[in-house]
Amino acid sequence: MADSVLEVRNLTTRFFTEDGQINAVEAVDFTVDEGEVFGIVGESGSGKSVTALSLIDLVESPGEVVDGQIRYRNADLVEAVGDDHPEAVDGEFVDLMQLPSRIRRSLRGPSFATIFQDPMSSLNPSVTVGKQIAEAVEVQRRATANPRATRSRTQGFGLGKFIVSSVAPGESYVSEQSMERAVELLDLVGIPDPEERAREHPHQFSGGMLQRAMIAQALAGEPDVLIADEPTTALDVTIQAQITDLLRELQEERGMTILLITHNLGVIARMCDQVGVMYAGEIVERGSLTDVFDEPVHPYTKGLLGSIPDVGGAKSRLEPIEGNVPSLRDEEMGDRCYFADRCPKAMDDCVAEHPAERPADPGTADHAVRCVLADTEYDESKALDSAEPDGEEVTDE
Amino acid sequence: MSLARFLVKRSLQGVFVIWGVVTVVFALRFIAPGSPENVLLPPDVDEETRRQVAAELGLNEPIHIQYLDYIAALLRGDMGNSLVTRTPVADRVFSTVPATIELAVAATVVAVVIAIPLGVVSATRRNQPADYGATLFSLLGISTPNFWLGLMLILFVAVPFDVFPTSTRPVGLLEVGERTLAGNLDGAAAGLENWLLHITLPAIALGTYFTALITRLTRSGMLEELGTDYVRAARAKGLPETLVRYSHALRNTLIPIITVVGLQLGTLIGGAVITEAVFDWPGLGTLVIDSINARDWPIVQGSLIVIATGFVLLNIVVDALYTYVNPQVSFD
Amino acid sequence: MIRSLLAWLASRVMSPRTLRNLKAEFRRSTLPKIGLVVLVIVLVTAVFAPFLAPHPPKDQDLENSTQPPLGFSSKSVEEVEVQDNGSVVFDDEGNILTENQTVYENASLSHPMGTDANGRDLLSRVIYGSRTSMLVGILGTLLAAVVGVSVGLTAGYFGDRVDDVLMRAADIMLAFPSLVLAIALVGVFQNSDIHTYDLPDPFVWAATHDTIPNVLIPRATHVAQMPETTTFPVTVTLVVALVNWVWFARVARGEALSLRSEEFVKAAKAVGAKDRNIIFRHILPNAITPIIVLGTIQVAAIILLESALSFLGFSGTSLSWGFDINAGQEFLSSAWWISTMPGLAIVVTVIALNLLGDWLRDALDPDIGGEGGV
Repeated sequence: MADSVLEVRNLTTRFFTEDGQINAVEAVDFTVDEGEVFGIVGESGSGKSVTALSLIDLVESPGEVVDGQIRYRNADLVEAVGDDHPEAVDGEFVDLMQLPSRIRRSLRGPSFATIFQDPMSSLNPSVTVGKQIAEAVEVQRRATANPRATRSRTQGFGLGKFIVSSVAPGESYVSEQSMERAVELLDLVGIPDPEERAREHPHQFSGGMLQRAMIAQALAGEPDVLIADEPTTALDVTIQAQITDLLRELQEERGMTILLITHNLGVIARMCDQVGVMYAGEIVERGSLTDVFDEPVHPYTKGLLGSIPDVGGAKSRLEPIEGNVPSLRDEEMGDRCYFADRCPKAMDDCVAEHPAERPADPGTADHAVRCVLADTEYDESKALDSAEPDGEEVTDE
Repeated sequence: MSLARFLVKRSLQGVFVIWGVVTVVFALRFIAPGSPENVLLPPDVDEETRRQVAAELGLNEPIHIQYLDYIAALLRGDMGNSLVTRTPVADRVFSTVPATIELAVAATVVAVVIAIPLGVVSATRRNQPADYGATLFSLLGISTPNFWLGLMLILFVAVPFDVFPTSTRPVGLLEVGERTLAGNLDGAAAGLENWLLHITLPAIALGTYFTALITRLTRSGMLEELGTDYVRAARAKGLPETLVRYSHALRNTLIPIITVVGLQLGTLIGGAVITEAVFDWPGLGTLVIDSINARDWPIVQGSLIVIATGFVLLNIVVDALYTYVNPQVSFD
Repeated sequence: MIRSLLAWLASRVMSPRTLRNLKAEFRRSTLPKIGLVVLVIVLVTAVFAPFLAPHPPKDQDLENSTQPPLGFSSKSVEEVEVQDNGSVVFDDEGNILTENQTVYENASLSHPMGTDANGRDLLSRVIYGSRTSMLVGILGTLLAAVVGVSVGLTAGYFGDRVDDVLMRAADIMLAFPSLVLAIALVGVFQNSDIHTYDLPDPFVWAATHDTIPNVLIPRATHVAQMPETTTFPVTVTLVVALVNWVWFARVARGEALSLRSEEFVKAAKAVGAKDRNIIFRHILPNAITPIIVLGTIQVAAIILLESALSFLGFSGTSLSWGFDINAGQEFLSSAWWISTMPGLAIVVTVIALNLLGDWLRDALDPDIGGEGGV
């Protein structure tokens, strides 16, 4: 059993907008072990992307991470911040939430690399692909060579240096070695003619190629954790398979830890070791791939699994989940289970209070569910009255 | 298509446009009430002399002959003679062009140097006092007529402080260059100082509109770029914020600004004409206005052709620059 | 009442969603409200000038010339003859003795903005100047819009040769910087008969004739003294429209080009609708929003252009802000208000228009970039 490299506890991110407070991520807990692939699956609006952004401190206003711990195991980091921020250190772990933002920024790249959903919009259209990858290489190089500078306010490259770099060609941020390494990385991810391609701009690449280039860019940082936010969603189906294979290959070769975020259960099934199911900003079920896929407890998980067209199997009808994703606005969320309105097995207890996370089966620590069904059997008699929006009882005629 | 072919193609288009310009300018004279010979002659001169003068000026030929003659002369570089001074138009026009170019360039430099940093600061400190100040300034800047601004500058800066001259003629940069080449470095330095003092207020008056415009565009462009996915991805890969802002966001902001600047060059040239009138700057604008009032049409025509031609060339340069800088657009 | 008229107009040319965006944006920010209020004030001033101006703007009052505005006083040094009990004193050489005496000119309530070199009340001149600016600004923009949109829609819709020809013409127009061309054209035509046209002022006419009893007209005797006609600078308006139609043409052409391949246009054509109908009923309403935004900005640009032309003396009317700015040039240090006040009027009006234009642009279509030029 590998050690955990990332332990997220009680992560809560809220958006304070003009229209009210939006609870995007509520009390999210999960643990990612080293070298494994942890998948977060959910519909759009479930909060999975915001979770990823919260980890790397890229939640933009009016959003804010208001609570939680992001415990990251990294001996070098412990050593580096131990003196100045002892409150953040706990044994081998550092709680990133307690570090100043400039230090958290320095972790992007060398510790956490991210690939986003749409490669075409995630790269600067006016800069060559090679140069952009070389920038990532350079980030890593400078972080290793001069970690203190990287953790400073200007991250080792302030306005003064920039002005110098724009007039003196020798002083530019990107060096020749970084460019060479960029070409190597392009080769690594399977892009033919990498030297040529490095000199081209993003719009000259196809979608699949560009996603490979993004992966190359992520690898440049030699990260501990690769966060992949919907890496295949914007791609054609055939290309999706290629990218998934590539990611798995790289992960096996390097023992890289991956946090994979997607709404595509097929991708989860192909790649992940552990899974977390998100709904309305919470993790409603989590566990190993087999636990969650073979023995789901939460009705939402069951619904998700039941709504996949099973090409090989004998299912006759798709079973979609009724209803829509609930509002995440604070005033509209109550102290109840957020799935209750759509749940085929909702009971009175479900609207009485917000369900806490509990083991799916007594005795199993690793498969947890946020649902009363983990402890109690479904009792039809206590079922929620259906379909009367104002709660009137269905009267017998 | 390569840069060379692009330039050739646009030059051909430009030639067509210039031909159109020449034709329009030529036609202008015929719409103008009052015949040219009357400009030169006192009203009580007899018919005979009048006809003689008209014949001298070639005004009795049929229109198409005059037109062809005109074009032929232009190709030779001959724009006719001034009705007032009887000297070649080309000489007078080209002698004033450098002064106008100096003013226009100075105003543009002032604008770019001030506006881009101002716009960036405004965008990165959004809704803070610096932003409000910059936004207020740009609103005022695009709403103020430059001639009035020039007068206000004279009133509140030149007159009270007595540093900037208001009535003497400036030393031109060409003159400064000549002095330098002749080894007269003291004279050159004095000339340069004289030139700088003379050009400051007019450049500010002329450049303010441009500055305000570019500030607004830079601000809105930066705000837009800073919200894009690629900026978020650049931050996610750990790139220092300085590079994110200036090497990525600002670069993409400036690209479309080139186009807008190109579109506004016409305003700049027009503004230069008026600014010259306010500050008594000896450029092409002053020449045009004086000539219109004196009904010296050959000079007006010549000036228009020169201004339009210069403008066409400038637009070709701006287009080429934009295409060169924007990798998504190629030279076809 | 004006609001509901505008609302009705707006509803005819825009989709409901756009209208809603407009209202929401307007309610949210204060700046466009200020702009609208200021603009309404300027318009009201222009229309009701005879009622609002304290003095007839052309009346000279040489005794009170170059009076400073309220709150200021000016002093100048004059040579005065030395007097001894009412008679003049001679010096040793037999010349009249003079001494330097400081003379104070004080502002008076009857001339709140002061007077110009000929004693004409500046506030009245500024008020009447708004007429010129509004007339030229609005009519010039309308003319430019009508011509430009027609040309642009035609070019964009029919494409190919038509487009080529029209756009070549536009290119030639654009080869001249607008102000330069305007100066040249106006300069050429400034002595022709159509340079200006005197529009009769209905209010003054009503006050000086008995058709409408004076009881119905407020301040009737006062109004009766105001100028009977307003000089409308025809050439300037035509030239200004001529110089600016191209901006409208470009926008309209762009819209037509992108809209003509839309499904609903193809459908209309398939049904056999005439081109003219298609353009007016289908393409124009969809293209109208950027045109409106451009229009607002153009009014501002044209007001600036007109003031520049007046400043240079080309506009043919002396009741113009630009004219007074020029007239005040020689008195810049001694009677600074003559040039400053009309200029402030321009700045305020153009700011208001720009605020409105910004609001329209943000609410209607955030993608519109670039600005029409002067």
